[in-house]
Amino acid sequence: MGHGKMAAGSSSGAPGAPCRHHAQLGACESRAKYREGWRPRAVKVYTINLESRYLLIQGVPALGVMKELVEQFALYGAIEEYHALDEYPAEQFTEVYLIKFKKLQCARVAKKKMDERSFFGSLLHVCYAPEFETVQETREKLQDRRKYIAKATNQRDCFILKKVEGPKKTVSKNSEQDCPWSTSGSHVASNWDPSCFTSSPGVSHNIAYPSGNQDESLLTSPHYDNNCTQVPGYFGQNISLTPSVHPGGHTPPASLMQQRMVPAYNGIDRFMPRTTHLQERKRKREEGNKFSLIGTSEDNTEVVIGPQLPEIPKVDMDDESLNTSATLIRNKLKEVADSVSTSVEKPESSSAKPLVKQRRRI
Amino acid sequence: MELGRLEYLQALVTEFQVTDSTGNKRRRSLALSVSGISSRPRPFSLAEAKEQVLANLANFAYDPSNYEYLRQLQVLDLFLDMLTEDNESLVEFAMGGLCNLCLDKTNKEYILEANGVEPIINCLSSSNEETVVSAVSTLMFLTTPRSRAQTTALPVVECMLRFSLSANRRLSNLASIFLQDYCTAPQLEEARNLSKHTAVGIPLPKD
Repeated sequence: MGHGKMAAGSSSGAPGAPCRHHAQLGACESRAKYREGWRPRAVKVYTINLESRYLLIQGVPALGVMKELVEQFALYGAIEEYHALDEYPAEQFTEVYLIKFKKLQCARVAKKKMDERSFFGSLLHVCYAPEFETVQETREKLQDRRKYIAKATNQRDCFILKKVEGPKKTVSKNSEQDCPWSTSGSHVASNWDPSCFTSSPGVSHNIAYPSGNQDESLLTSPHYDNNCTQVPGYFGQNISLTPSVHPGGHTPPASLMQQRMVPAYNGIDRFMPRTTHLQERKRKREEGNKFSLIGTSEDNTEVVIGPQLPEIPKVDMDDESLNTSATLIRNKLKEVADSVSTSVEKPESSSAKPLVKQRRRI
Repeated sequence: MELGRLEYLQALVTEFQVTDSTGNKRRRSLALSVSGISSRPRPFSLAEAKEQVLANLANFAYDPSNYEYLRQLQVLDLFLDMLTEDNESLVEFAMGGLCNLCLDKTNKEYILEANGVEPIINCLSSSNEETVVSAVSTLMFLTTPRSRAQTTALPVVECMLRFSLSANRRLSNLASIFLQDYCTAPQLEEARNLSKHTAVGIPLPKD
């Protein structure tokens, strides 16, 4: 058959070339009123394949404002790379830039906020640029999504958070350990499900449940964006910070980025007063989108621009009593967030829960 | 809040179903009422209404907190049904919706039970880039020890081999991951031999 229908050459899908998914669709004008959002939106479905840490920014006025542009975007999270795309077609007097965030979540928020924003008199058009990803980056993106779902859906069944089992595979490290299950599938039990599997060696179960992320349980209460035809229905700053946060209580490999992002709140430092954790998280929740400047990169080879998103620390304590206390606090926070009665849970019942958690299997 | 969301989703599905019904009078009145509400001068078609609603649902499918509702409202079946529509946009949005929600265990089992893998494999032949890309990742997400015989069947692997050579970076990346992470060496070998000798296969998307 020798299909003539090969994917076209440089005109689509290749990095630096205009892609169909970069095109700004016209806003939908015929939407039923009950589905009208605040801003005119095009009809578009966002999947994990379309989203990316890479953002393409069009319409930047050619005034030599790259620094200001990057500073503006850096408000939404750490930026790993940025440069102008000279070969990309641009309207007269405008330039096109590529900005790569460290985290997909930051890119998502930045896109939402900066798209259609005026910048030095010109309207920016911001879109994802997944075609710039390497295979490994795409793989990690999919794995992060997997982990997130595994955590979020089990979270619903059980609001008590689980103890993390060991060092998780983190973004862009351990790059050699790609899903070994595909080749070692023969020894896997029949009810094993890849959606809860990460490729950290030596970890046998429940990897996908980091502890200390009580904010997720509080914030999975329905919270959807009216403008959902363009934006996925959740705000990530509430939820998905945790999947890539390294667990405390273990000494992580020095090269992990996440550790650098969690300087003062690492669970290893168990002598930090717990009220500080509590207040800190409460403050973060109340501030909403505001990000505080914490953490500095100890690795000088990384160019970290702008404030880093505060990582929700993992409260993984090996100590039973500390876990009990942590559970107690989380439950309390949950109650407060649910805006129901403020009855205090008995320590006995909460101490029973860690045991129940550990037996739970997916 | 919970109730509000369910009601909203219910309204979406209802709108979709009403839009789908036969009977001209009903269609026309719906179109009029919708355009009246939105008060836009632009002519409005029922196909557009369906597309909008489906896109809305597909985007909702991104958020796990909606999954229970979507299952209650049988939106998974809706997505699967839309995969065989002629309207390319409907297929694209439905495929996106499935891609978004198929990682959840319950949803995954439901889709597999409903023989959803077959229509998804058929989406690999679409000329729509988004549809194909969503289909590739959905097949990956749906691969389990029980389903992998289907999701990594020979024609699929052979198709992925060709996709991995595509100039479309998104597609080639996903196909490469599929081949590296979800296929065994014998499967790859077999597919390579197949593509050498036969012409049967799944065409690449137009783009």
